Amino acid sequence: MEQKLRHEAKALLEQGKVDWIIGFEPGSLKFTTTPLITKDKNGADRLVINPFIVNNLANFLTEIKGRVGIVAKGCDSRSIVSLIQDNKVVREDVVILGIPCPGIIDLGKVERLVGKDRDELDDITREGDKVTIKVDGEKREFPITQALFDNCLACEFPTPQEYDILLGEPTSPIANKLATQEKIENLKQMTPEQRWGFWEKELSRCIRCYACRNVCPACFCQRCFVEETEPQWALPVPRWQDNLIFQIVRNIHVAGRCTDCGECERACPVNIPLRSLTREMYDIVDELFHFKAGTDKDALPLMTHYEQEEAEDFFR
Amino acid sequence: MTTTDISHRSKFLAQGNVYLPHIVVIERIIEETPGVRTLHFNFKDKKLREEFTFQSGQFAEYSVFGIGEAPFCISSSPTRRDHLEFAVQRVGRVTNAMHRLGVGAEIGFRGPYGNSFPLDFLQGKNLIFVGGGIGLAPLRSLIWNVIDNRDKYKNIDIIYGARSPTDLCFKYDLEAWGKNKTINMVITVDRGDETWAGKVGLVPKVLEEVAPSARNAVAIVCGPPIMIRFTFPVLTKLGFTPEQMLTTLEKRMKCGIGKCGRCNIGNIFVCRDGPVFTHAQIKSFVSSEY
Amino acid sequence: MTSNKINKKDIEKLLSQWSQEFTVFAPSIESGIATMAKWDGKDTSFLDWYRNTVIPPKANFLPPMEEMFSFQKDKEGYHIELSPSNGHKQLIFGIRPCDAKALAILDMTFKDLYQDPYYLPKRSSTVLIGLGCAKPYDSCFCTSLGISPAESTDVDLMLTDIGDQFLIEPISAAGKELIAKTSGLKEATKDDEARAKEVKETSYNKVTRKINAEGIIDKLLASFDDQDYWEKIAAKCMSCGICTFLCPTCYCFDINDELVKQQGARLRNWDSCAFPLYTKMPMENPRQEKWRRVRQKVCHKFGFYPMTFNVIACTGCGRCIRLCPVNWDITQTLAGLPIKVQE
Repeated sequence: MEQKLRHEAKALLEQGKVDWIIGFEPGSLKFTTTPLITKDKNGADRLVINPFIVNNLANFLTEIKGRVGIVAKGCDSRSIVSLIQDNKVVREDVVILGIPCPGIIDLGKVERLVGKDRDELDDITREGDKVTIKVDGEKREFPITQALFDNCLACEFPTPQEYDILLGEPTSPIANKLATQEKIENLKQMTPEQRWGFWEKELSRCIRCYACRNVCPACFCQRCFVEETEPQWALPVPRWQDNLIFQIVRNIHVAGRCTDCGECERACPVNIPLRSLTREMYDIVDELFHFKAGTDKDALPLMTHYEQEEAEDFFR
Repeated sequence: MTTTDISHRSKFLAQGNVYLPHIVVIERIIEETPGVRTLHFNFKDKKLREEFTFQSGQFAEYSVFGIGEAPFCISSSPTRRDHLEFAVQRVGRVTNAMHRLGVGAEIGFRGPYGNSFPLDFLQGKNLIFVGGGIGLAPLRSLIWNVIDNRDKYKNIDIIYGARSPTDLCFKYDLEAWGKNKTINMVITVDRGDETWAGKVGLVPKVLEEVAPSARNAVAIVCGPPIMIRFTFPVLTKLGFTPEQMLTTLEKRMKCGIGKCGRCNIGNIFVCRDGPVFTHAQIKSFVSSEY
Repeated sequence: MTSNKINKKDIEKLLSQWSQEFTVFAPSIESGIATMAKWDGKDTSFLDWYRNTVIPPKANFLPPMEEMFSFQKDKEGYHIELSPSNGHKQLIFGIRPCDAKALAILDMTFKDLYQDPYYLPKRSSTVLIGLGCAKPYDSCFCTSLGISPAESTDVDLMLTDIGDQFLIEPISAAGKELIAKTSGLKEATKDDEARAKEVKETSYNKVTRKINAEGIIDKLLASFDDQDYWEKIAAKCMSCGICTFLCPTCYCFDINDELVKQQGARLRNWDSCAFPLYTKMPMENPRQEKWRRVRQKVCHKFGFYPMTFNVIACTGCGRCIRLCPVNWDITQTLAGLPIKVQE
């Protein structure tokens, strides 16, 4: 897949079909990749596909000007479709290099499995449904499901449905929502006071770095509501109550655009379980409106279009 | 070149804390233009009223309690101390709140901060003041200061303009300076209206027409960035060296004391090393941001 | 003064003893995030897992959020009241040399011209107990900035792990004072000190990431206007605040007021030059484009700050590299500077 990707990307640049290539290249730390954004055809030689290509590259489409050849996993291609539906990206300006994704390895889970930090591991390799972690010269094997991100386990569309070039054989979804559902179920079982206390504890760690918002492709506002001063909806101060307002409103704003790519939770430097909010919103949107963001490219954006005849019966 | 008189800086701390404002009371409000008003105020504390001093060009941080704080120059002259003044244009949250205040309202005052116009450098020279819009505010502090010590300075030219006749600020000053026989007062607008019988033309253009001599002269320029950008080349053409051109820079500020980081340009802070700079200093800024 | 030592299993007693006089902060982990939190009185398991905290110790002196003063209005007008500081002395156990040096770097700003009345009192009432790094991260590059992971002149006592024990070296006068009032410490032998020297050398050599800090100011100034380079460097940055907030030497802050009916307070909180609205003025924003903000961040830390204070505002702790969501790496940016310095 990787060779084919490099070949295709290079050709796109050489033939002048795109101005930019956006993909992944090896990062500066072990088991890390970093976004590659290049106009140079030799840059395409650095493109990689491996179990660590975690970023949602669709995020860059709202700021890069020109035609872009973009590497997209299942969730990323849905984000691209969602952006097209919102008129933020023109379909003809992107060439989607689709990657059927077998799931991305969560380094946090790997570290917990072997009790060592990432930089103390010798190697992490995936073979089919197993992951082999080499540490202190010893090899330890685990089922791959123990090492993948929760949202990858729950993913229903690992193969991009919208693409220009598909770089491999379609892969089937794992579609195991247990881990995600467990966390959300726990919250649902709590009394309102307990749940309030849970979020107070979690959001007190929030430092308002806005990484969750900035890595999200669905957040493309030039000026976020939380930066408005007239009126001031929430103070920019990291008090947990203001942090809560920020998260709640952000969730409502991205409802119908969120593809559960999980980047918000992964990017958070203080491990706030943001997907307990976003995934729940995702499921509510599906339940009420039978809508999953970015799966139907001919659909109109859910929350921002109006029809005279309302499809749902809970509206009057 | 510009005076950095540090002795003022720590003299007027409230409760010894550099972030604590003093309470000042608004005594008079003048609506200069639809978006600009001047507030006359005085310290609530009588002792401070007597003792407080500052120099032309310095600014202060003014608070509307509960809304926020913003920096404005002190637009009154240190030679006229029965009250203090500042001018504020309505552009955002804090300034809108300031435009809703009435006489008797209490606001916070922290200052004076920054450096000031270098009076010893200006003495004995011809002064050419070039102002645009609300940019006249820091200039007027210096102009009245100079007028109150008139014999220390040589010729005075004031070239001032605004977008339109309704945007002219400090009209009462313009009138007073126009009547002053030792001042050459030139007023212009970018666009006139039916009532306007005076000059029409952009300030840099009018400056070029007036063509003041650069010999033994200093130009002090204050106004919107675009006006300043076009004024400096005109002054250069007239023979002014970069050391002969002064201006005040504006940057977003919060603390006003060189700590919060916001107003930095390269390795200088506008609040701590400015706001008064010569064109020579600006050209040597590490960052080409301004 | 000679060094002392203490058995690792006696650390709990030591901290309990110090808790009589100080509020003790020690590494603690919650939801997988290590911070310097108030010691709970008994847990010393951090000795097993602690490498470095996510939130740097600057948070104990310049907190993410701090009340500066409160005000209230009655019929006589406004009354301003300074927020009570807790006044209790702090002891931070286990601060790493990079973070301790960072505090010394921050001091320069908060002392410059005006004394910051919130940061400085906390600094002078805090005792820092440094702990040498046994396991530097692969993202650490302190040694390139003249900082050793094993030694520090910016702490009060320096601890080195020599097996079952810690060697305790007094560094400052406050450290010597503390030792004098602390019981339960043994005197270190020559062997202990020799062992410690070995350990320190091993730690030093474990730091493998390097930057070339020589002449960095000139290199940055020379590359300052190279827009192409900075656009390339900034392309993947998300403009979030992670690198600046988690950086132990970053200090930019914002000031906000809040008001509920007639009472309110002025608060100060962390801010970042990476945010697009940081420099926004009503009519213009000099750093609207992302590449200008990224350039500012690098040039401030390695150029402008040393121009003013003679010290690079970076201690090589590597948090920015480890925690950046897109793995933006400052060591790569510095290594790739297009150098056009005129001879």
